[in-house]
Amino acid sequence: MIGEPVLVMLVEDNADHAELVIRTLEEHRIANKVRHFLDGQSALDYLFHRGEYSDPADSARPHVILLDLRLPRVDGIDVLKTIKEDDHLKSIPVVVLTTSEAEKDVAKAYYNHANSYLVKPVGFEEFKRLMDDLGFYWLSWNTNPNIPE
Amino acid sequence: MANFFKLPKFENEDQNVKARLIFLISVGMAIASLIFLVVTVFAMPNLVRRAIGLAILVIPGTLAIIWLVRSFRLQTASRLLLVMIWFSVTLGMVTAGGVSAPITIGYLFAVTISGLLMTRRTSAYVTAICVAVGMIVAWAEMNGWLPPAKSYSPMERISIYSFFFVLVLALQNITAGNIQHLVRHARESESKYKSFLESIPTVTYINSISLNADTEYVSPQVKHLLGYSQEEFLNDPLLWQKIIHPDDQEQVLTENACTVQTGSPFQVEYRVLTKDQRVIWVRDEAILVHDEQGKPQYWLGVWTDITTRKHAEAEQTELIGVMTKRTIQLQTAAEVSHAASSILDINVLLPNVVELIRNHFDYYYVGIFLVDESKSWAILRAATGEMGREMILNGHRLGVGDSSMIGWCILHGQARIALDVGVDAIRFKNPYLPLTRSEMALPLITHSGVIGAMTIQSTVPAAFSSVDITALQTMADQVANAIENAQLFTERSALINELEKRNTELERFTYTVSHDLRSPLVTMRGFLGYLRQDATSGDLTRFDKDLSRIANAVDKMQALLNDLLELSRVGRIINTPTDIPFRQIVDETIDLLIGSIDAHKVKLQIQENLPIIHGDHTRLIEVTQNLISNAAKFMGHQPNPIIEIGSAGFDKDGKPILFIRDNGIGVEPEYHERIFGLFNRLNPEIEGTGIGLTLVRRIIEVHGGRIWIESQPGKGATFFFTLPPSDLK
Repeated sequence: MIGEPVLVMLVEDNADHAELVIRTLEEHRIANKVRHFLDGQSALDYLFHRGEYSDPADSARPHVILLDLRLPRVDGIDVLKTIKEDDHLKSIPVVVLTTSEAEKDVAKAYYNHANSYLVKPVGFEEFKRLMDDLGFYWLSWNTNPNIPE
Repeated sequence: MANFFKLPKFENEDQNVKARLIFLISVGMAIASLIFLVVTVFAMPNLVRRAIGLAILVIPGTLAIIWLVRSFRLQTASRLLLVMIWFSVTLGMVTAGGVSAPITIGYLFAVTISGLLMTRRTSAYVTAICVAVGMIVAWAEMNGWLPPAKSYSPMERISIYSFFFVLVLALQNITAGNIQHLVRHARESESKYKSFLESIPTVTYINSISLNADTEYVSPQVKHLLGYSQEEFLNDPLLWQKIIHPDDQEQVLTENACTVQTGSPFQVEYRVLTKDQRVIWVRDEAILVHDEQGKPQYWLGVWTDITTRKHAEAEQTELIGVMTKRTIQLQTAAEVSHAASSILDINVLLPNVVELIRNHFDYYYVGIFLVDESKSWAILRAATGEMGREMILNGHRLGVGDSSMIGWCILHGQARIALDVGVDAIRFKNPYLPLTRSEMALPLITHSGVIGAMTIQSTVPAAFSSVDITALQTMADQVANAIENAQLFTERSALINELEKRNTELERFTYTVSHDLRSPLVTMRGFLGYLRQDATSGDLTRFDKDLSRIANAVDKMQALLNDLLELSRVGRIINTPTDIPFRQIVDETIDLLIGSIDAHKVKLQIQENLPIIHGDHTRLIEVTQNLISNAAKFMGHQPNPIIEIGSAGFDKDGKPILFIRDNGIGVEPEYHERIFGLFNRLNPEIEGTGIGLTLVRRIIEVHGGRIWIESQPGKGATFFFTLPPSDLK
């Protein structure tokens, strides 16, 4: 694992939230690289090497996907469904990171095989703490599968 | 033995008389021959042999004749009698030596009897035979072929003559008696028949066979039946025609003319006016009477008073009519009741009910009017037939309380009948219903008042009675209740729908608030933390950036809260609606949005003659503001952005349809409904809270209008909406 670049895929329509996530992850030096997508469609294009991401060299498999649920164009749940229905992609851990606490959303996410469901905390310290834990857990403690390209 | 001499009864009097005559003559002859025998034995011994011969011939002959009469063979009996007389006389003449014998006078007797018993022709033959035989005997006597003529003493001669005198006398007496008997009998039977005819409770009459059938005889009961006396009828042979009821005159005279021509029996029932101007029904039956040669002689007729029977018949017919009507009414009421309880949609129920009532009673037209919201118009909602369909299509309506029957009926909540008869005759003028001759208007009354009225029209001048009102009003009441139920049901369904919609919205609201309101909070708290770090580290560039992120989030939150507040106010706070020219609203909106419109370089095209609408001024500006700014926002890369504002006629309720059209990016059909939902934002790159269109729809709906979109991606979008028209007509 050491020396291997750790890639986090962040799918988040709110630019401010994306900035918060990226900034905290980078501060804690958890991820080498965070790739941010503003909507579901571009995230899927990346994962399937389509359109502007057709070059596999520029679209490496992420180690973990941080996914918001309310996304323009293709909704977060649909992105999750598509990933978990794909033989190659379904092994990638998908962590839902959203502002919604609604039971409906939680249930829907786990039903579609989300690996974790996290609610963005209101509060700077809590947010930092969550990102910290999240980074350690998924990128350090957790053994990720070796996913073939 | 006594029975043997009793005469049988023949069918007619003529035969009885003949039989008695034959009987008496033959018995008389037998008795006379016996007396003659006795006289000769004692007084004229030279004639005894002849008397014996006569008796031997006459007595068995008489017995045979009686037997024949008893066997009803009158013809044969009379012939035998004649032959017997003739033979006795001829034999006596020949044996007595010629025509000078006194017995010759017997031919006279034979001729007389033949005249009485036989036809004229036969008696002529008999006379001829007697004369001829007399000639032959005389001729034989002259030639001396007969025995020498016997000489009679004067006494013998007068005795034989006397024998015939007595016989002729007896014959004459019998005949005279018989004639008297016949005459008396005829008189008796005539008076019997006459008294019978004149005492039976019908009037008999005899009319001539002329074309006019003049009265020749009428029985006196006519006075009792018609008040006119027998004399009045006989003095005016055409009186019978004059007293026929004017309505029946044509029929009777036609029938009479036909009967007179064909000779077939006359049989008509008709009304006549009595002398005291009462109307009675008579049955008039007459047959043509012919004489023996078959020539028509006169009409023999009978008038019978059938007034009672006719009245009973009419009463029965009326009763059956009334009962049939009641039965139909009951059946219809049952069906209407069934429809009323089983059909909840008044658009199905009302057409059903009008058809049911029209078909069952065979009325010309049935229609149902319902009062509109303004309570000033009754609008035709269901009507029978092609004309009904057309009237509904043309929006047929009547003013409540105006001069129409429906208007009156709704205003007063009372049923009303108008008939094209009598002093109150009404002219019906509806061009769609040219055949109406009577009309009934029934109010539809519910707990909340008169909601409409039912009109029932007939082509019959006096089709409705107060009883019909009662029966049909019960149906109208049922219909009214059903309409109320249906309206309550529709209201309830709408309410449930509305509640469900609100509930979904509320769910969505809480869900979204937890997300969309939380989202800026996360941003604010997050960057506040970094702000402190920035301040500590002295990274002023990042400090500024983070500060503006926080400020943006605060703005966003405020906008969201404002919109939410606005949304919650709509429906609760409404300013008094007024008439406003839609153009004024558009102009005021443009004043507010002029900056944004200029920024997007949008060209505005506003139609002339926009309608005056009725509503909450401030809220309606919010509507146009949202729609126009949306149109400006979603122009995409359109090089010539145009927003067109106009009106597109009226919807079926008469509300003006307005529209705002752009030539921007458009909306995919699958989102046409979703865009009006709370927080449904299609494009995150464009600023917005996702409340605008929800707010617009809410305002339009609170005004009783409707909003929808017509659009294709890339081809622009048109938002149509309806608003209440101005109160001024």
